Amino acid sequence: MFKKMEKAKQIENSWDSLVAGVRAGNVRAMARLITRVEDREPGWKDAMKAIWPHTGNARIFGITGSPGTGKSSLTCEIAAELVSRGLSVGIIAVDPSSPFTGGALLGDRLRMKKIFNLKDIFIRSMATRGMLGGLSQAARDVVRIMDAFGKDIILIETVGVGQDEIEVVKAADLVMMVCIPGQGDGIQALKAGVMEIADLYIINKADLPGTDEVMADIQGMLELSSEIGYPVAPVLKTSALKNQGIKDLVETLLTHQAGKNKQEFKRGIQVKEEILTLMEREVFRSIRSRWEHSGELAEAVQQMIDKKKDPYSTVTEMLDHILKE
Amino acid sequence: MDQKKMNMEKKIRVLVAKPGLDGHERGAHVVAYGLRDAGFEVIYTGLRQTTKQIVNTAIQEDVDVIGLSILSGAHLSLSQKVIEGLKTQDAEDIIVIVGGIIPEEDIPLLKAMGVCEVFTAGTPVSAISDFISASISSN
Amino acid sequence: MSGNSNPMEKFETAETQWKQNILDKRLKRFNLSKSPTRFYSPLANKNSDFLENVGFPGQYPFTAGSNPFDFWRAYAEDAAKMGYRPDWGGAGGVGKYGGFGTAEDYRDYLIRMHAMGRTGGPNMAFDLVTQCGYDSDSDYAEGEVGRVGVAIDSFRDFATIYEPYTGDLGIDKVPSNFTINAPAAIIIAMYAILADKRGIPLDKLRGTPQNDILKEFIARGTYIYPPEQSLRLFRDICVFCTRHMPKLNINSIGGYHIREAGATREQDLAFSMANAAAYIQAGIAGGLDVDSFAPKQTFNAFGGSMEIYQEIALQRAARRIYARMLKERFKAKNPRSMMIRQPITAHIGCVSTTLQRPLNNLTRAVVGGMAAGMSGGMPGVFPPYDEPLGLGHSQEAVQLQLDATRILIYEAKVADVNDPWAGSYFMESLTDDIEARATAEMEKIEKMGGAVAAIESGYMQKAVSKSAYEKQKQIERQEEFVVGVNCFNDDNEISVNVNREVEASYDPELLKSAEDRQQQKLKKLKRQRNSKAVSSALSALKAHAKDESVNLMVDICECVRNDVTLQEMCDVLREVFGEFQQSKL
Repeated sequence: MFKKMEKAKQIENSWDSLVAGVRAGNVRAMARLITRVEDREPGWKDAMKAIWPHTGNARIFGITGSPGTGKSSLTCEIAAELVSRGLSVGIIAVDPSSPFTGGALLGDRLRMKKIFNLKDIFIRSMATRGMLGGLSQAARDVVRIMDAFGKDIILIETVGVGQDEIEVVKAADLVMMVCIPGQGDGIQALKAGVMEIADLYIINKADLPGTDEVMADIQGMLELSSEIGYPVAPVLKTSALKNQGIKDLVETLLTHQAGKNKQEFKRGIQVKEEILTLMEREVFRSIRSRWEHSGELAEAVQQMIDKKKDPYSTVTEMLDHILKE
Repeated sequence: MDQKKMNMEKKIRVLVAKPGLDGHERGAHVVAYGLRDAGFEVIYTGLRQTTKQIVNTAIQEDVDVIGLSILSGAHLSLSQKVIEGLKTQDAEDIIVIVGGIIPEEDIPLLKAMGVCEVFTAGTPVSAISDFISASISSN
Repeated sequence: MSGNSNPMEKFETAETQWKQNILDKRLKRFNLSKSPTRFYSPLANKNSDFLENVGFPGQYPFTAGSNPFDFWRAYAEDAAKMGYRPDWGGAGGVGKYGGFGTAEDYRDYLIRMHAMGRTGGPNMAFDLVTQCGYDSDSDYAEGEVGRVGVAIDSFRDFATIYEPYTGDLGIDKVPSNFTINAPAAIIIAMYAILADKRGIPLDKLRGTPQNDILKEFIARGTYIYPPEQSLRLFRDICVFCTRHMPKLNINSIGGYHIREAGATREQDLAFSMANAAAYIQAGIAGGLDVDSFAPKQTFNAFGGSMEIYQEIALQRAARRIYARMLKERFKAKNPRSMMIRQPITAHIGCVSTTLQRPLNNLTRAVVGGMAAGMSGGMPGVFPPYDEPLGLGHSQEAVQLQLDATRILIYEAKVADVNDPWAGSYFMESLTDDIEARATAEMEKIEKMGGAVAAIESGYMQKAVSKSAYEKQKQIERQEEFVVGVNCFNDDNEISVNVNREVEASYDPELLKSAEDRQQQKLKKLKRQRNSKAVSSALSALKAHAKDESVNLMVDICECVRNDVTLQEMCDVLREVFGEFQQSKL
């Protein structure tokens, strides 16, 4: 009752004021803008257009690796070290959404308590929301909003298991791959998808036995990759829990220059991918909403259920129809 | 449901938080799992959260709802601090609900300070998720 | 040979005939495919050797009970004639569990209790600030000082509480209980220094610190350091107590807390046994002979559900598993090392109580008391029915709880027979089942590297919270029924109101000002003490903490003696050991 009578104190929710708020360094505005853009509310692209000119200043580091490698703790230590060097840090922590319910349990903050209350830290948990390809775009948008806000460094942390999660770190300038001792088989399994995106390997929990073995595994793998022309990525040892090797790692991150060619090559791929992804989603979205509204989709579904039509010709016919217009 | 139709990507975000030093996590865990399975994005921050940390997290994560789980008997002062913290950050639109061991006579006091609803022992998680969905869509 | 080729044959034949002639007919009549009930014949445990698996009470493997009869049973009739109240203490035991406010507040409360003849030893609850290793002026202390127990910042607070414990109530005469885990080493050191300052030999001290840090990671959450470093502190306590305070129990392991956090019966048993094994191993690693300290390891309680048969079987399985573990794995020779010592056996858990129609909780607790009485313990009815109402226990609820226990003992005579289910085809088979499932889970944990590894990886915590959620889903789907909660809760039922007068043993005004008064004392302490001695004691503690081979109890005692605060000690150890970080759900 009390609450209803008095007008609740809340922020101005319009796109313009949110974008202005981000530029003015208002944390609540940044958080809300991220939500509205992530939710793809109508008008989000215009807001991102307004954000775009203020981006390009932040450096973006991706952190990936299997579950249990201590990525969140490592991210926390890296962020703490960066802040102690006077840098302002944004963190995007990605966890998977349930494909069945769409819900997600976002728990990375649990490992980042140490930095919760630092003024220069902003942490945002993101769920994958089951959109293949869409996630990397959403992550890119969040990165840009943080960038426009004035964050110097943006860390994207994600589990390196599914395609979705690997897509996310592609939004980064530099990708760290986190491994732990005793993970030999894991390294083999990771080879395929992750090898080409990792710029830096980290052996976390390097105080545990088995560190040398995993080091040998990674180096063996890197030798193979150098034979096919990839630059050899550095391998570093850390222990996030014991705060060992973090200073060196941050030093490496800040000074790392992947071969200029690779950097530009990657940049090219990233930009192309972004345009294609955006295009794909837009096309799909507009076609779907048209089909849904016109009732054509429902009709086609019924025809297929009634065995009057097969899905292949349904799609071809519907597309032909649109392209002709 | 209507909300979802309007915008396929809109998700309700909930922060499940345990303020203070009380370490009984069962209720918080069950609610976090239950709300996840109800389709919400649940942010769980673990034990020993100060009210300041809870407010900061709620702001950064831009949650729709904060669920405080309190079994230590300190629910009045802790809830008050969270609500005051939200006010000073222009975030009064974030709904606060409280669960745990709450004596009946304290429930009106909590509501008077701005807590939207109090869920005591024996509440099905579905009642909590229904309450959240209804509150968000009516806003 | 031919005469006894298969002694079970006649039962098998009989069972087949029973199924065909009797059971099937009834199933058909009710249109059922499976019977809603079960029946156990000698076929249920045909290979069981009674002496090997059950034995007599007080004999290995202790399935039938840790003792031929419990000590309280010897005095039960006298207690009835005298009108003895166990919650008032006396009779050489500890008093009522409690604690609040500042040390002065709690001391004054104890003095009032003594004046009323309630003279048990201190049975201390500490506030969460103390339990988590902070002082009353820490940021974390806000609103928590003196709330769920007494606040202890330094030795001065500890000594204040003991002011009324002199003469006949001296610490060489009455025992103390300390419900403390992460800072257990500090509280035990305070106890030792208190005795030392009073000129009482340490080997006269009796009591029980909870000191069960591993379950704090799984259930109650009052941990400080990571599990491995916590276990090192346990080792130091264990060695120190065994050498200098041999009458003090080393710990009190709680399966019950894990159960309350959501564990299944088998997880409760397996996890607490894995924890117990880790403690035993730590003592052995500290250079102790297993029989020199294992008899001082105690248990709080296992249990926590309304399923009376299962809870009885659980107690029996727990005793057998522990006995075999100590004998076979740890090569103990003294039977006292192999027996579970615990004040209570079964009881329902607080999670079994309901806010709806709360008087029903008395009925529920009586069921728990029956399970305890039939599984080798006092038929203790626990908790008081108003537990879930959240205002503390009322005098009335405590009276009814006590009376219910007495009714079970004196009128129902539940405790007149040891292990009344021994040899029951059903109970022996159920005990075997629970033992097998718990043992399988224990083996799984051993493969992971033991309790410490299973906690570090988050395995135990996750398993417990998943079980809690599973249980909740079962209730919501009505696969499990809770009267008044998910069934029999419509308008046909009436709500039953109860009158209760809450015992205002703790002055609310004192509670309010406790934080401030405790902080004033801290300021004064820090002005008065010898800061040189403080810093040199702390640097010795720090230096030795880094060397895993050193027993830290000596340094902690030195800190305590020099008025170093609890948080100052914990902070130094935090620096060296690090702090535990929860794993993701």
